[in-house]
Amino acid sequence: MVMDIQFEQVGYTYQPDTPFAFCALKDINLTIKEGSYTAIVGHTGSGKSTLLQHLNALIKPTAGVVKIGDRLITTDTPNKNLKEVRKEVGIVFQFPEAQLFEETIEKDVAFGPKNFGVEGEELKKVVRDSLQMVGLDDSYLERSPFELSGGQMRRVAIAGVLAMKPSVLVLDEPTAGLDPRGRKEMMGMFYDLHKEQGITIVLVTHLMDDVANFADYVIVLEKGQVIKQGLPKQVFTDTQWLTTQQLGVPAATTFAQQLMARGFQFDTIPLTTKELAQEIAKILRKSGEQV
Amino acid sequence: MMDKMIFGRYIPGDSVIHKLDPRVKLLASFYFIGIIFLCNNWQSYTLMFLFTLLALSLSKIKPSFIINGLKPLFWLILFTVVLQILFTRGGEVYFKWGILSVTELGLMNGIFIFCRFVLIILISTLLTLTTPPLSLSDAIEYLLRPLEVVKFPAHEVSLMLSIALRFVPTLMDETEKIMNAQRARGVDFGEGNIMDKMKSIVPLLIPLFVSSFNRAEDLATAMEARGYKGGEGRTKYRVLKWQSRDTLTALVFVVLTVILVYVRN
Repeated sequence: MVMDIQFEQVGYTYQPDTPFAFCALKDINLTIKEGSYTAIVGHTGSGKSTLLQHLNALIKPTAGVVKIGDRLITTDTPNKNLKEVRKEVGIVFQFPEAQLFEETIEKDVAFGPKNFGVEGEELKKVVRDSLQMVGLDDSYLERSPFELSGGQMRRVAIAGVLAMKPSVLVLDEPTAGLDPRGRKEMMGMFYDLHKEQGITIVLVTHLMDDVANFADYVIVLEKGQVIKQGLPKQVFTDTQWLTTQQLGVPAATTFAQQLMARGFQFDTIPLTTKELAQEIAKILRKSGEQV
Repeated sequence: MMDKMIFGRYIPGDSVIHKLDPRVKLLASFYFIGIIFLCNNWQSYTLMFLFTLLALSLSKIKPSFIINGLKPLFWLILFTVVLQILFTRGGEVYFKWGILSVTELGLMNGIFIFCRFVLIILISTLLTLTTPPLSLSDAIEYLLRPLEVVKFPAHEVSLMLSIALRFVPTLMDETEKIMNAQRARGVDFGEGNIMDKMKSIVPLLIPLFVSSFNRAEDLATAMEARGYKGGEGRTKYRVLKWQSRDTLTALVFVVLTVILVYVRN
Protein backbone atom coordinates (compact mmCIF):
# COMPACT_ATOMS: atom_id res chain seq x y z
CA MET A 1 0.00 0.00 0.00
CA VAL A 2 1.36 3.40 -0.92
CA MET A 3 1.21 5.61 2.18
CA ASP A 4 1.00 9.01 0.59
CA ILE A 5 -0.98 11.51 2.60
CA GLN A 6 -2.93 13.94 0.53
CA PHE A 7 -4.96 17.01 1.56
CA GLU A 8 -7.54 18.28 -0.90
CA GLN A 9 -9.11 21.65 -0.10
CA VAL A 10 -9.11 20.79 3.57
CA GLY A 11 -10.62 23.23 6.03
CA TYR A 12 -11.17 22.94 9.75
CA THR A 13 -13.30 25.10 12.01
CA TYR A 14 -13.35 24.72 15.78
CA GLN A 15 -16.81 24.82 17.39
CA PRO A 16 -18.66 25.61 14.17
CA ASP A 17 -22.05 27.36 14.46
CA THR A 18 -21.34 28.82 17.90
CA PRO A 19 -20.23 32.30 18.92
CA PHE A 20 -16.81 30.74 19.58
CA ALA A 21 -16.34 29.44 16.00
CA PHE A 22 -12.72 29.65 14.91
CA CYS A 23 -11.38 28.77 11.48
CA ALA A 24 -8.02 27.06 12.01
CA LEU A 25 -7.36 25.69 8.52
CA LYS A 26 -8.51 27.02 5.17
CA ASP A 27 -8.25 25.43 1.74
CA ILE A 28 -5.18 23.29 2.40
CA ASN A 29 -3.79 21.38 -0.58
CA LEU A 30 -0.67 19.34 -0.06
CA THR A 31 0.87 15.92 -0.49
CA ILE A 32 3.22 14.14 1.85
CA LYS A 33 4.91 11.54 -0.31
CA GLU A 34 5.82 8.11 0.97
CA GLY A 35 9.46 8.01 2.02
CA SER A 36 9.84 11.78 2.17
CA TYR A 37 11.07 13.92 5.06
CA THR A 38 8.63 16.81 5.14
CA ALA A 39 9.02 19.81 7.41
CA ILE A 40 6.06 21.97 8.40
CA VAL A 41 7.01 25.41 9.64
CA GLY A 42 4.98 28.39 10.76
CA HIS A 43 4.35 30.64 13.73
CA THR A 44 2.48 29.55 16.81
CA GLY A 45 -1.21 29.63 16.00
CA SER A 46 -0.63 29.12 12.28
CA GLY A 47 -2.56 25.84 12.35
CA LYS A 48 0.35 23.40 12.50
CA SER A 49 -1.04 21.39 15.39
CA THR A 50 -4.50 21.22 13.84
CA LEU A 51 -3.05 20.05 10.55
CA LEU A 52 -1.02 17.45 12.35
CA GLN A 53 -4.07 15.92 14.01
CA HIS A 54 -5.57 15.38 10.56
CA LEU A 55 -2.65 13.14 9.63
CA ASN A 56 -4.07 10.16 11.52
CA ALA A 57 -7.71 11.15 11.69
CA LEU A 58 -7.66 12.35 15.30
CA ILE A 59 -9.84 15.10 13.94
CA LYS A 60 -11.79 15.06 10.73
CA PRO A 61 -11.81 17.97 8.30
CA THR A 62 -14.92 20.16 8.32
CA ALA A 63 -14.34 20.72 4.60
CA GLY A 64 -12.47 18.81 1.92
CA VAL A 65 -10.85 15.37 1.94
CA VAL A 66 -7.78 13.90 3.60
CA LYS A 67 -6.41 10.80 1.87
CA ILE A 68 -4.27 8.62 4.12
CA GLY A 69 -2.95 5.79 1.98
CA ASP A 70 -6.14 4.47 0.41
CA ARG A 71 -8.43 5.68 3.20
CA LEU A 72 -10.53 8.77 2.56
CA ILE A 73 -11.31 10.88 5.61
CA THR A 74 -14.10 13.44 5.32
CA THR A 75 -16.46 15.17 7.73
CA ASP A 76 -18.85 12.23 7.61
CA THR A 77 -16.30 9.46 8.18
CA PRO A 78 -17.49 7.41 11.17
CA ASN A 79 -15.21 7.23 14.19
CA LYS A 80 -14.96 3.46 14.03
CA ASN A 81 -12.26 1.45 12.27
CA LEU A 82 -9.74 4.27 12.32
CA LYS A 83 -7.25 2.08 14.20
CA GLU A 84 -5.46 0.90 11.07
CA VAL A 85 -4.85 4.50 10.07
CA ARG A 86 -3.49 5.27 13.53
CA LYS A 87 -1.21 2.25 13.38
CA GLU A 88 0.27 3.42 10.08
CA VAL A 89 0.73 7.03 11.17
CA GLY A 90 2.41 7.46 14.55
CA ILE A 91 2.39 10.89 16.16
CA VAL A 92 4.91 12.10 18.70
CA PHE A 93 3.13 15.05 20.26
CA GLN A 94 4.78 18.06 21.85
CA PHE A 95 6.14 17.10 25.26
CA PRO A 96 5.15 13.46 24.76
CA GLU A 97 6.39 12.55 28.25
CA ALA A 98 2.92 13.64 29.41
CA GLN A 99 1.42 10.47 27.96
CA LEU A 100 3.36 8.03 30.18
CA PHE A 101 1.19 6.18 32.67
CA GLU A 102 2.30 2.58 33.25
CA GLU A 103 4.18 1.19 36.25
CA THR A 104 7.16 0.07 34.22
CA ILE A 105 8.81 1.40 31.12
CA GLU A 106 8.35 -1.98 29.44
CA LYS A 107 4.59 -1.88 29.93
CA ASP A 108 4.33 1.70 28.77
CA VAL A 109 6.23 1.13 25.55
CA ALA A 110 4.19 -2.03 24.98
CA PHE A 111 0.90 -0.15 25.35
CA GLY A 112 0.70 1.05 21.75
CA PRO A 113 1.60 -2.18 19.95
CA LYS A 114 -0.64 -4.14 22.36
CA ASN A 115 -3.60 -2.00 21.34
CA PHE A 116 -2.86 -2.95 17.75
CA GLY A 117 -2.79 -6.65 18.55
CA VAL A 118 0.93 -7.43 18.93
CA GLU A 119 1.52 -10.14 21.55
CA GLY A 120 4.00 -12.46 23.26
CA GLU A 121 7.61 -12.70 22.15
CA GLU A 122 7.05 -10.32 19.27
CA LEU A 123 5.81 -7.67 21.69
CA LYS A 124 8.84 -8.12 23.95
CA LYS A 125 11.18 -7.85 21.01
CA VAL A 126 9.52 -4.76 19.62
CA VAL A 127 9.71 -3.04 23.03
CA ARG A 128 13.42 -3.85 23.39
CA ASP A 129 14.19 -2.71 19.87
CA SER A 130 12.34 0.56 20.29
CA LEU A 131 14.10 1.35 23.56
CA GLN A 132 17.39 0.53 21.90
CA MET A 133 16.61 2.97 19.13
CA VAL A 134 16.13 5.84 21.59
CA GLY A 135 19.32 4.85 23.39
CA LEU A 136 17.96 3.10 26.49
CA ASP A 137 19.23 -0.41 27.30
CA ASP A 138 17.43 -3.40 28.85
CA SER A 139 18.21 -2.26 32.40
CA TYR A 140 15.43 0.30 32.01
CA LEU A 141 12.68 -2.24 31.27
CA GLU A 142 11.58 -2.78 34.87
CA ARG A 143 11.99 0.78 36.08
CA SER A 144 9.15 3.23 36.57
CA PRO A 145 8.94 5.90 33.88
CA PHE A 146 8.26 8.48 36.59
CA GLU A 147 11.68 8.17 38.21
CA LEU A 148 13.50 9.19 35.03
CA SER A 149 14.80 12.61 34.06
CA GLY A 150 12.73 14.73 31.68
CA GLY A 151 14.94 13.88 28.71
CA GLN A 152 14.77 10.15 29.42
CA MET A 153 11.00 10.29 29.83
CA ARG A 154 10.85 11.90 26.42
CA ARG A 155 12.86 9.00 24.99
CA VAL A 156 10.56 6.44 26.56
CA ALA A 157 7.50 8.21 25.16
CA ILE A 158 9.05 8.31 21.69
CA ALA A 159 9.94 4.61 21.99
CA GLY A 160 6.25 4.04 22.77
CA VAL A 161 5.33 5.49 19.39
CA LEU A 162 8.18 3.79 17.51
CA ALA A 163 7.05 0.44 18.96
CA MET A 164 3.87 0.71 16.89
CA LYS A 165 6.09 0.41 13.83
CA PRO A 166 4.36 3.19 11.95
CA SER A 167 5.21 3.76 8.31
CA VAL A 168 4.72 7.50 8.78
CA LEU A 169 6.16 9.23 11.83
CA VAL A 170 4.84 12.67 12.72
CA LEU A 171 7.02 14.71 15.09
CA ASP A 172 5.68 17.84 16.75
CA GLU A 173 8.73 19.78 17.95
CA PRO A 174 10.31 16.61 19.30
CA THR A 175 13.38 18.36 20.71
CA ALA A 176 11.69 21.26 22.52
CA GLY A 177 13.24 21.62 25.95
CA LEU A 178 16.10 19.17 25.37
CA ASP A 179 19.76 20.08 25.80
CA PRO A 180 21.85 20.52 22.63
CA ARG A 181 23.35 17.06 22.88
CA GLY A 182 20.00 15.34 23.41
CA ARG A 183 18.62 17.37 20.53
CA LYS A 184 21.38 16.28 18.19
CA GLU A 185 21.08 12.62 19.16
CA MET A 186 17.32 12.66 18.80
CA MET A 187 17.31 14.31 15.40
CA GLY A 188 20.10 11.97 14.24
CA MET A 189 18.05 8.97 15.39
CA PHE A 190 15.00 10.09 13.41
CA TYR A 191 17.11 10.71 10.34
CA ASP A 192 18.62 7.23 10.59
CA LEU A 193 15.15 5.71 10.81
CA HIS A 194 14.18 7.65 7.74
CA LYS A 195 17.27 6.60 5.80
CA GLU A 196 17.53 2.98 6.92
CA GLN A 197 13.92 1.91 7.20
CA GLY A 198 12.40 4.29 4.72
CA ILE A 199 9.98 5.73 7.26
CA THR A 200 8.17 8.83 6.07
CA ILE A 201 8.79 11.68 8.48
CA VAL A 202 6.72 14.79 9.03
CA LEU A 203 8.53 17.26 11.26
CA VAL A 204 6.85 20.28 12.79
CA THR A 205 9.49 22.70 13.98
CA HIS A 206 10.64 26.27 14.58
CA LEU A 207 14.26 25.40 13.99
CA MET A 208 15.25 26.24 10.43
CA ASP A 209 18.58 24.47 10.89
CA ASP A 210 16.76 21.19 11.42
CA VAL A 211 14.75 21.85 8.28
CA ALA A 212 17.90 22.58 6.27
CA ASN A 213 19.77 19.59 7.66
CA PHE A 214 17.14 16.91 7.29
CA ALA A 215 14.04 17.81 5.30
CA ASP A 216 13.60 17.23 1.58
CA TYR A 217 10.31 19.15 1.40
CA VAL A 218 9.07 22.22 3.27
CA ILE A 219 5.54 23.48 3.85
CA VAL A 220 5.08 26.96 5.28
CA LEU A 221 1.81 27.64 7.09
CA GLU A 222 0.45 31.04 8.05
CA LYS A 223 -2.97 31.84 9.46
CA GLY A 224 -4.29 28.40 8.56
CA GLN A 225 -3.16 28.52 4.94
CA VAL A 226 -0.23 27.10 3.03
CA ILE A 227 1.70 30.17 1.88
CA LYS A 228 4.68 28.37 0.39
CA GLN A 229 5.80 24.85 -0.28
CA GLY A 230 8.71 23.29 -2.13
CA LEU A 231 12.23 21.98 -1.77
CA PRO A 232 14.24 23.57 1.05
CA LYS A 233 16.50 25.14 -1.62
CA GLN A 234 13.53 26.89 -3.21
CA VAL A 235 12.02 28.05 0.06
CA PHE A 236 15.25 29.25 1.63
CA THR A 237 16.55 30.99 -1.49
CA ASP A 238 14.12 33.83 -0.94
CA THR A 239 15.74 34.94 2.29
CA GLN A 240 14.15 38.36 2.07
CA TRP A 241 10.68 36.82 2.05
CA LEU A 242 11.56 34.58 4.99
CA THR A 243 12.78 37.55 6.97
CA THR A 244 9.61 39.53 6.32
CA GLN A 245 7.61 36.49 7.44
CA GLN A 246 9.84 36.42 10.55
CA LEU A 247 10.43 32.73 10.08
CA GLY A 248 14.18 32.86 10.29
CA VAL A 249 16.86 31.46 8.05
CA PRO A 250 19.31 28.59 8.75
CA ALA A 251 22.45 29.76 10.53
CA ALA A 252 24.68 28.73 7.61
CA THR A 253 22.57 30.77 5.19
CA THR A 254 22.73 33.83 7.42
CA PHE A 255 26.49 33.40 7.62
CA ALA A 256 26.72 33.16 3.85
CA GLN A 257 24.60 36.27 3.45
CA GLN A 258 26.89 38.26 5.70
CA LEU A 259 29.84 37.05 3.66
CA MET A 260 28.03 38.10 0.50
CA ALA A 261 27.49 41.56 1.93
CA ARG A 262 31.28 41.79 2.21
CA GLY A 263 31.86 40.81 -1.40
CA PHE A 264 31.81 37.00 -1.50
CA GLN A 265 30.09 35.32 -4.45
CA PHE A 266 28.30 31.99 -3.99
CA ASP A 267 27.16 29.78 -6.88
CA THR A 268 24.37 28.33 -4.75
CA ILE A 269 23.27 29.64 -1.40
CA PRO A 270 24.36 27.11 1.26
CA LEU A 271 21.72 25.85 3.74
CA THR A 272 23.82 23.65 6.00
CA THR A 273 27.17 24.06 7.67
CA LYS A 274 28.57 21.35 5.43
CA GLU A 275 27.47 23.08 2.25
CA LEU A 276 28.77 26.38 3.56
CA ALA A 277 32.20 24.87 4.25
CA GLN A 278 32.31 23.33 0.78
CA GLU A 279 31.31 26.59 -0.90
CA ILE A 280 33.89 28.58 1.04
CA ALA A 281 36.55 26.01 0.27
CA LYS A 282 35.66 26.24 -3.41
CA ILE A 283 35.93 30.02 -3.39
CA LEU A 284 39.21 29.98 -1.49
CA ARG A 285 40.64 27.44 -3.90
CA LYS A 286 39.63 29.62 -6.83
CA SER A 287 41.16 32.73 -5.33
CA GLY A 288 44.28 30.68 -4.48
CA GLU A 289 44.63 29.78 -8.17
CA GLN A 290 44.39 33.41 -9.12
CA VAL A 291 47.18 34.33 -6.74
CA MET B 1 -15.90 18.33 22.82
CA MET B 2 -15.05 20.02 26.11
CA ASP B 3 -15.83 23.43 24.70
CA LYS B 4 -19.54 22.72 24.59
CA MET B 5 -19.92 23.11 28.34
CA ILE B 6 -21.72 26.42 28.55
CA PHE B 7 -23.20 25.80 32.00
CA GLY B 8 -21.54 28.05 34.51
CA ARG B 9 -19.28 29.86 32.11
CA TYR B 10 -18.83 33.60 32.67
CA ILE B 11 -19.95 35.75 29.75
CA PRO B 12 -18.47 39.24 29.82
CA GLY B 13 -20.86 42.17 29.58
CA ASP B 14 -21.60 45.55 31.09
CA SER B 15 -25.22 45.23 32.15
CA VAL B 16 -26.52 46.36 35.55
CA ILE B 17 -26.39 42.77 36.74
CA HIS B 18 -22.77 42.43 35.66
CA LYS B 19 -21.84 45.57 37.53
CA LEU B 20 -23.44 44.59 40.83
CA ASP B 21 -21.11 43.86 43.70
CA PRO B 22 -20.39 40.11 43.71
CA ARG B 23 -21.17 39.97 47.43
CA VAL B 24 -24.66 41.31 46.75
CA LYS B 25 -25.18 38.91 43.88
CA LEU B 26 -24.03 35.94 45.89
CA LEU B 27 -26.08 36.78 48.97
CA ALA B 28 -29.10 37.73 46.88
CA SER B 29 -28.97 34.45 44.98
CA PHE B 30 -28.85 32.45 48.20
CA TYR B 31 -31.60 34.57 49.68
CA PHE B 32 -33.73 34.11 46.57
CA ILE B 33 -33.25 30.35 46.68
CA GLY B 34 -34.26 30.51 50.34
CA ILE B 35 -37.49 32.39 49.80
CA ILE B 36 -38.49 30.14 46.90
CA PHE B 37 -39.41 27.67 49.63
CA LEU B 38 -41.94 30.16 50.99
CA CYS B 39 -43.98 29.86 47.78
CA ASN B 40 -47.04 27.70 48.15
CA ASN B 41 -49.49 28.75 45.45
CA TRP B 42 -49.41 29.62 41.79
CA GLN B 43 -49.50 33.38 42.45
CA SER B 44 -46.31 33.24 44.45
CA TYR B 45 -44.53 31.12 41.85
CA THR B 46 -45.67 33.50 39.11
CA LEU B 47 -44.22 36.37 41.11
CA MET B 48 -40.87 34.61 41.45
CA PHE B 49 -40.83 33.73 37.74
CA LEU B 50 -41.58 37.31 36.76
CA PHE B 51 -38.79 38.52 39.02
CA THR B 52 -36.33 35.99 37.56
CA LEU B 53 -37.29 36.94 33.99
CA LEU B 54 -36.74 40.59 34.84
CA ALA B 55 -33.29 39.83 36.24
CA LEU B 56 -32.43 37.69 33.21
CA SER B 57 -33.50 40.37 30.76
CA LEU B 58 -31.53 43.01 32.67
CA SER B 59 -28.40 40.89 32.26
CA LYS B 60 -28.70 41.17 28.43
CA ILE B 61 -27.50 37.61 28.01
CA LYS B 62 -28.78 35.65 25.03
CA PRO B 63 -31.65 33.37 26.10
CA SER B 64 -29.99 30.44 24.30
CA PHE B 65 -27.13 30.49 26.83
CA ILE B 66 -29.55 30.33 29.71
CA ILE B 67 -31.50 27.48 28.16
CA ASN B 68 -28.22 25.63 27.64
CA GLY B 69 -27.66 25.99 31.36
CA LEU B 70 -30.90 24.14 32.03
CA LYS B 71 -30.25 21.26 29.64
CA PRO B 72 -27.65 19.25 31.61
CA LEU B 73 -30.02 19.03 34.58
CA PHE B 74 -33.07 18.01 32.56
CA TRP B 75 -33.00 14.35 33.63
CA LEU B 76 -32.58 15.18 37.29
CA ILE B 77 -35.59 17.50 37.17
CA LEU B 78 -37.69 14.95 35.30
CA PHE B 79 -36.78 12.19 37.76
CA THR B 80 -37.70 14.26 40.81
CA VAL B 81 -40.93 15.51 39.30
CA VAL B 82 -42.04 11.98 38.32
CA LEU B 83 -41.25 10.70 41.81
CA GLN B 84 -43.29 13.51 43.35
CA ILE B 85 -46.24 12.88 41.08
CA LEU B 86 -46.26 9.13 41.63
CA PHE B 87 -45.67 8.96 45.37
CA THR B 88 -47.51 11.96 46.83
CA ARG B 89 -51.10 11.22 47.81
CA GLY B 90 -54.03 13.46 48.60
CA GLY B 91 -57.04 14.99 46.96
CA GLU B 92 -58.76 13.55 43.95
CA VAL B 93 -57.25 10.33 42.51
CA TYR B 94 -56.81 10.39 38.71
CA PHE B 95 -54.97 7.11 38.22
CA LYS B 96 -53.92 4.19 40.39
CA TRP B 97 -51.65 1.18 39.79
CA GLY B 98 -50.35 -0.78 42.76
CA ILE B 99 -48.56 1.59 45.14
CA LEU B 100 -48.31 4.19 42.35
CA SER B 101 -51.01 6.76 42.05
CA VAL B 102 -51.49 10.10 40.36
CA THR B 103 -53.46 12.40 42.63
CA GLU B 104 -54.39 16.04 42.65
CA LEU B 105 -51.95 16.84 45.42
CA GLY B 106 -49.20 14.81 43.75
CA LEU B 107 -49.67 16.64 40.48
CA MET B 108 -49.61 20.01 42.26
CA ASN B 109 -46.49 19.08 44.17
CA GLY B 110 -44.84 17.87 40.99
CA ILE B 111 -45.52 21.15 39.24
CA PHE B 112 -44.26 23.15 42.23
CA ILE B 113 -41.07 21.08 42.49
CA PHE B 114 -40.52 21.63 38.80
CA CYS B 115 -40.93 25.39 39.26
CA ARG B 116 -38.52 25.41 42.20
CA PHE B 117 -35.90 23.53 40.25
CA VAL B 118 -36.14 25.78 37.24
CA LEU B 119 -36.04 28.92 39.38
CA ILE B 120 -33.03 27.75 41.37
CA ILE B 121 -31.13 26.77 38.25
CA LEU B 122 -32.03 29.98 36.43
CA ILE B 123 -30.91 32.21 39.25
CA SER B 124 -27.66 30.34 39.87
CA THR B 125 -26.93 30.25 36.14
CA LEU B 126 -27.50 34.00 36.07
CA LEU B 127 -25.04 34.38 38.95
CA THR B 128 -22.27 32.42 37.25
CA LEU B 129 -22.93 33.85 33.79
CA THR B 130 -22.62 37.44 35.00
CA THR B 131 -19.92 37.13 37.67
CA PRO B 132 -16.26 36.36 36.90
CA PRO B 133 -15.17 33.36 38.99
CA LEU B 134 -12.46 35.40 40.66
CA SER B 135 -14.92 38.04 41.89
CA LEU B 136 -17.07 35.25 43.17
CA SER B 137 -14.25 33.82 45.22
CA ASP B 138 -13.42 37.32 46.48
CA ALA B 139 -17.00 37.63 47.62
CA ILE B 140 -16.85 34.27 49.34
CA GLU B 141 -13.69 35.27 51.14
CA TYR B 142 -15.31 38.48 52.33
CA LEU B 143 -18.44 36.72 53.51
CA LEU B 144 -16.48 33.99 55.30
CA ARG B 145 -14.20 36.44 57.06
CA PRO B 146 -16.31 36.70 60.23
CA LEU B 147 -15.64 32.98 60.72
CA GLU B 148 -11.93 33.70 61.16
CA VAL B 149 -12.77 34.42 64.78
CA VAL B 150 -13.29 30.70 65.23
CA LYS B 151 -10.05 29.96 63.31
CA PHE B 152 -11.78 29.22 60.02
CA PRO B 153 -9.20 29.67 57.18
CA ALA B 154 -11.33 32.02 55.04
CA HIS B 155 -8.45 33.28 52.92
CA GLU B 156 -7.08 29.80 52.25
CA VAL B 157 -10.49 28.46 51.27
CA SER B 158 -11.02 31.29 48.85
CA LEU B 159 -7.52 30.86 47.44
CA MET B 160 -8.15 27.16 46.90
CA LEU B 161 -11.38 28.04 45.15
CA SER B 162 -9.70 30.59 42.87
CA ILE B 163 -6.92 28.18 41.98
CA ALA B 164 -9.38 25.38 41.27
CA LEU B 165 -11.45 27.65 39.04
CA ARG B 166 -8.40 29.03 37.30
CA PHE B 167 -7.17 25.58 36.34
CA VAL B 168 -10.41 24.15 34.97
CA PRO B 169 -9.67 25.27 31.38
CA THR B 170 -6.02 24.24 31.72
CA LEU B 171 -7.05 20.79 32.88
CA MET B 172 -9.50 20.50 30.02
CA ASP B 173 -6.80 21.34 27.48
CA GLU B 174 -4.52 18.84 29.14
CA THR B 175 -7.22 16.16 29.02
CA GLU B 176 -7.74 16.73 25.35
CA LYS B 177 -4.01 16.56 24.65
CA ILE B 178 -3.51 13.33 26.55
CA MET B 179 -6.63 11.82 24.98
CA ASN B 180 -5.20 12.60 21.56
CA ALA B 181 -1.85 11.11 22.44
CA GLN B 182 -3.45 7.90 23.71
CA ARG B 183 -5.85 7.69 20.79
CA ALA B 184 -2.81 7.93 18.54
CA ARG B 185 -1.47 4.92 20.45
CA GLY B 186 -4.59 2.94 19.60
CA VAL B 187 -7.02 3.62 22.47
CA ASP B 188 -10.69 3.89 21.54
CA PHE B 189 -12.34 6.04 24.17
CA GLY B 190 -16.01 5.26 24.66
CA GLU B 191 -16.01 2.08 22.63
CA GLY B 192 -16.51 -1.56 23.57
CA ASN B 193 -18.21 -2.86 26.70
CA ILE B 194 -18.16 -1.19 30.09
CA MET B 195 -14.95 -2.96 31.15
CA ASP B 196 -13.15 -1.72 28.04
CA LYS B 197 -14.42 1.77 28.69
CA MET B 198 -13.17 1.76 32.28
CA LYS B 199 -9.82 0.36 31.21
CA SER B 200 -9.41 3.09 28.61
CA ILE B 201 -9.79 5.74 31.32
CA VAL B 202 -6.62 4.64 33.16
CA PRO B 203 -4.15 5.89 30.53
CA LEU B 204 -5.98 9.21 30.67
CA LEU B 205 -6.35 9.64 34.43
CA ILE B 206 -2.83 8.74 35.54
CA PRO B 207 -1.07 11.29 33.30
CA LEU B 208 -3.63 13.88 34.38
CA PHE B 209 -2.93 13.23 38.06
CA VAL B 210 0.80 13.30 37.50
CA SER B 211 0.69 16.59 35.65
CA SER B 212 -1.68 18.13 38.20
CA PHE B 213 0.66 17.28 41.07
CA ASN B 214 3.62 18.63 39.14
CA ARG B 215 1.71 21.77 38.33
CA ALA B 216 0.65 22.25 41.95
CA GLU B 217 4.25 22.04 43.06
CA ASP B 218 5.38 24.48 40.38
CA LEU B 219 2.60 26.88 41.32
CA ALA B 220 3.52 26.74 45.01
CA THR B 221 7.15 27.45 44.18
CA ALA B 222 6.22 30.31 41.87
CA MET B 223 3.97 31.84 44.53
CA GLU B 224 6.59 31.60 47.23
CA ALA B 225 9.21 33.01 44.88
CA ARG B 226 6.98 36.05 44.53
CA GLY B 227 6.70 36.46 48.27
CA TYR B 228 3.39 34.82 49.04
CA LYS B 229 3.10 33.85 52.69
CA GLY B 230 -0.57 33.47 53.42
CA GLY B 231 -3.46 35.86 53.89
CA GLU B 232 -2.08 37.77 56.86
CA GLY B 233 -1.62 41.45 56.00
CA ARG B 234 -2.20 40.79 52.31
CA THR B 235 -3.74 43.68 50.38
CA LYS B 236 -6.26 43.28 47.59
CA TYR B 237 -5.83 43.99 43.91
CA ARG B 238 -9.57 43.91 43.25
CA VAL B 239 -11.19 45.95 46.00
CA LEU B 240 -14.91 45.37 46.39
CA LYS B 241 -16.86 48.63 46.64
CA TRP B 242 -20.43 48.92 47.82
CA GLN B 243 -22.40 51.25 45.55
CA SER B 244 -25.86 52.74 45.50
CA ARG B 245 -27.10 50.14 43.01
CA ASP B 246 -26.18 47.49 45.53
CA THR B 247 -28.27 49.17 48.20
CA LEU B 248 -31.07 49.42 45.64
CA THR B 249 -30.83 45.69 44.93
CA ALA B 250 -31.11 44.95 48.64
CA LEU B 251 -34.23 47.15 48.79
CA VAL B 252 -35.74 45.37 45.79
CA PHE B 253 -35.33 42.11 47.64
CA VAL B 254 -37.05 43.52 50.72
CA VAL B 255 -39.97 44.60 48.55
CA LEU B 256 -40.05 41.20 46.84
CA THR B 257 -40.21 39.46 50.20
CA VAL B 258 -43.05 41.67 51.40
CA ILE B 259 -45.10 41.01 48.25
CA LEU B 260 -44.34 37.30 48.48
CA VAL B 261 -45.52 37.08 52.08
CA TYR B 262 -48.66 38.95 51.04
CA VAL B 263 -49.57 36.69 48.07
CA ARG B 264 -48.79 33.32 49.63
CA ASN B 265 -51.50 31.48 51.47
